[in-house]
Amino acid sequence: MYHKFCRLCHSIVIAILVLSIVGCAAPVAAPSPAPAAEAPAPIAAGLEACQGQNLVLASMTDQYVAAFRALIPQFEEASGARLTLDELGYVDLYQKLIADFVGQTANYDLMTVDIVWSGEFGQNQYTLPLDDFMARDEAELQLDDILPVAWTLGEWQGAHVAYPLAGYANVLNYRKDVLEEAGIEPPATQEELLAAAQALTDPDAGFYGMALLGAKGPAVAQDYMVWVQQHGGRILDDEGKPALNTPENAEILKFFGELFNYAPPGSADYWWDQRETAFRSGNVAMMEGWSIARAGYENPEISSVVGKVDIAVAPVKAGLEPKFGFGGWGIGINADSTPQEQECAWQFIKWLTSPEIQKEWLRNDGAPIRRSTMTDPEIVAQYPWMPVLLESFEKGDGDYRPRIPQYSIIQDALGTHVNAFIVGQVTAEEALDAAQKQVEDNWQ
Amino acid sequence: MVTTDHQISTQENRWLARVRRFRSREGAYWVMLAPLLVFVVAVAIYPLLFSFRISFFKYRLTDPNQVQTFVGVDNYLRALQDPTVLTALRVTLIYVAGTVIVELLLGLALALLLASEMRTTRFVRSFLLVPMALPPLVVGLVWKSLYNADFGVIPYYLKQMGVSVGRGPLAEPAWAMPAVILIDVWQWTPLLMIIFLAGLKSLPTEPYEAAYADGATRWSRFIHITLPLLKPTILVALLLRTMQSFKVFDTIYATTGGGPGSTTTVLNFHIYTVGMTFFDMGYAASLANVLLVIIAILSALYIMLLERQQL
Amino acid sequence: MIFRRSRHSDEISVMNRRSALERVVLTIVTILVVLFFMLPIFWLVTTSFKFGREAFAIPPRWLFFEFTLRNFQEVLATTKISQYLLNSIIVSTGATILSLALGVPAGYAIARSQSRILNSSAYFFLILLMVPPIAMLIPFYLIMRDLRLLGTYASLIILDTVFDAAFVVWMMRSYFADVPKEMEEAALVDGASRFAAFWRVALPLSIPGVVAAAIYVIIFSWNDFLFALMLTSPETKTIPLGILASFSAVEINWGKMAVMCLFAIIPALVIALFLNRYFVQGATMGATKG
Repeated sequence: MYHKFCRLCHSIVIAILVLSIVGCAAPVAAPSPAPAAEAPAPIAAGLEACQGQNLVLASMTDQYVAAFRALIPQFEEASGARLTLDELGYVDLYQKLIADFVGQTANYDLMTVDIVWSGEFGQNQYTLPLDDFMARDEAELQLDDILPVAWTLGEWQGAHVAYPLAGYANVLNYRKDVLEEAGIEPPATQEELLAAAQALTDPDAGFYGMALLGAKGPAVAQDYMVWVQQHGGRILDDEGKPALNTPENAEILKFFGELFNYAPPGSADYWWDQRETAFRSGNVAMMEGWSIARAGYENPEISSVVGKVDIAVAPVKAGLEPKFGFGGWGIGINADSTPQEQECAWQFIKWLTSPEIQKEWLRNDGAPIRRSTMTDPEIVAQYPWMPVLLESFEKGDGDYRPRIPQYSIIQDALGTHVNAFIVGQVTAEEALDAAQKQVEDNWQ
Repeated sequence: MVTTDHQISTQENRWLARVRRFRSREGAYWVMLAPLLVFVVAVAIYPLLFSFRISFFKYRLTDPNQVQTFVGVDNYLRALQDPTVLTALRVTLIYVAGTVIVELLLGLALALLLASEMRTTRFVRSFLLVPMALPPLVVGLVWKSLYNADFGVIPYYLKQMGVSVGRGPLAEPAWAMPAVILIDVWQWTPLLMIIFLAGLKSLPTEPYEAAYADGATRWSRFIHITLPLLKPTILVALLLRTMQSFKVFDTIYATTGGGPGSTTTVLNFHIYTVGMTFFDMGYAASLANVLLVIIAILSALYIMLLERQQL
Repeated sequence: MIFRRSRHSDEISVMNRRSALERVVLTIVTILVVLFFMLPIFWLVTTSFKFGREAFAIPPRWLFFEFTLRNFQEVLATTKISQYLLNSIIVSTGATILSLALGVPAGYAIARSQSRILNSSAYFFLILLMVPPIAMLIPFYLIMRDLRLLGTYASLIILDTVFDAAFVVWMMRSYFADVPKEMEEAALVDGASRFAAFWRVALPLSIPGVVAAAIYVIIFSWNDFLFALMLTSPETKTIPLGILASFSAVEINWGKMAVMCLFAIIPALVIALFLNRYFVQGATMGATKG
């Protein structure tokens, strides 16, 4: 008996020792691929820097993640580097990235950067400013092919802390069959939008006019700010200070709330996936959303409305000069990665955003940033809504959601209090007053 | 009685021997306790002290310069005046009261229902253990899907029964808290059930026989014998569940994110928001200390009641 | 723990005899109770076999639906579920071994000791269990950052152990208090040291208690979410975090989520169904002794 326990005791001690060694070792990335025995595929110019590197890319689980999955193997073959893709939801992506930056652990070398994070990442020096790289490789980049509005994806105080990756236009998706049947023209103004939503809603049949994001947090904050932009309201005042509780914003909030009467009952809890599902399931007539989702409506595996959808530029309030919400994602390089990793990461960015690869990017559910991609005849033939997109980009406004470092404070305040208004807990004025107070209390 | 020298020295020797034995016995016990104490002090005390200290400072985690400014009790004063914090406190108390009371009653009822040792009841009991072994995050996600207003199973059947679901159980301000409490009840009632079962099994039979002989009904036997005898068990169960309930996080994170509005924002969740969304570490630490004090006071109350019970 | 059978067992059954109506009502209630507790799990299992929109079709189809294994194939092919599983296993095993090694002797010491200081150290561990984890997490995160241990298995194991070991101490203390001292006294008289008395006499007698404690620790560390959220790197992500990755902005994907949740509840199911004896023991130990 004693010897058995002696052995048990020893094995426990050994196990602890082993675990501490295993545990304390920082997880070593997979060993670099050994040089191929046969003649390696010719490495494209500039990509030699990538030979043998191991990079990790953190990507939001938006539609373009499918494009990443398709294109990364091509990049690995062309460059000899190994690129691991980590897919994360919106909230976890933000937190893991911040934890990575603050902890200076450089777990992620590349990351998708939401347009609204530009200020925060820029001010806190989380990502590497890319201007030096851009100046050095200017000849290859064809910078003026990239639409001007797309540069807001990662621009902060003149420097670029992320490179444009996926440009989204806020567009109006609508069911052309439903609108035709009801004899309604696609709405050209916000007032028409409300009228159409009202006319098309039939709760008994389970059919609704609009699909909206109402869930507490980033979802409802984003949607509300879209409507603020479309009605000519502003989040910041002229000095760049938050001005949430202006009378105009309160009116807009009431309009926004009214739209919820014509949206599916669960809308007060909708995140992006639920709003998309509502539209794809055919329960909703119209939806304002990011243009990247448009291609998915033609995919029979995930859509019940194949062939029935059309898009138009998002309507603004009658009398306002048309400007359309622009959003999307940039791609950034971790400031804490090693210089070799940063160089290889830059090569990846260059490769990915080159005009040739951009066509593949778009075909795999990515979103465009280049004019050449959007006007390419093949692309336009496959995706006939490109001209609408181009118009939205050309008149796009990438600042309607302030890209300042304190954006997450504004988003959280609006996220909580607009949601409280939507569910009927407070009036519009109370909601915005509370949001303004919360922003001021937490302002840094 | 006159003590002789001999007797004195024997007494002394005995006392010395006792001390020596005490020391060697206790020494062994201290050695067995030491590794854990060292570990806990090293790993837990320092963070706790840090948390205590930083609550008197203003410190933004994401500050590139990592500046810490001393602000005295400002964070605590701010907490007392912050409407969000006071709301969170109220919400937490509602949540704890709701979950603990419902689980207590339901757990007791289940224990009584399934007290017999027949094969079927034993079988049923082992199935009922599954919920409490599941990750709270998974439980939250599953129930969130069940509660989904448009596609969820629960609103569907509610609508079939004619109950108006409105924006859904998790989005209607009046229903969000009960819905979240129900999730907690689903997960943790089995725990209370087995605690009460153990308590019931250890009850003596004599009082019951006597009462039966006296003609007492089953109900009065329950009220006048079972309940009083179960008091210590009830108190321990209350203590366990209250402590756990105050610390709820995963469920809220997975289901409502604190919404709609702030109706389900418990204090522990708010602390997380302050710390991980605003990165206001000093303030978050002060709120965490406040929560700890509340839990400690309540637990001390329970323990005192328990000790008195056992005297 | 059998109902004490006294000479008056006949009287007892007479005391507790229920009418036929009562029995029927109680049976119905029992069935409802089982339904209530089992339905969400049943939903989870059936949803994992439904692809795409089948998963949220209205009206819900409980028994007859298009059964497919596509979700499992997709999850195994496109996500890193096997890595998350491995990470969860490593973390849980590490935390279990460490907390048992630290907590069981400590529990014994507190149970047997007659020094008042030692005895009240038990309350110190109880206070540890009261601390909101977030209070510990933020400074711990900063310490791990400075030690460059963020994202390693060690950081998560260590933090889990703090709370797990405190729980183990409480459980083992009540358990050892129940173990009769005579055999240890006999060993001591024979000249064994206190530690040998523990190791060779008390511990073998209390294996069921240790197993119960181990089960609880395994479950706590496996199910942990908050600590894993902050302390893991992409390589050391555990399963609860992996589940969040099943959510995308593209569409509701309950099937995929269900499959990943199934992986997450493996130990729960195994333990609850096959080891429930220890599970019950663990829950009651701390309870009836206080």
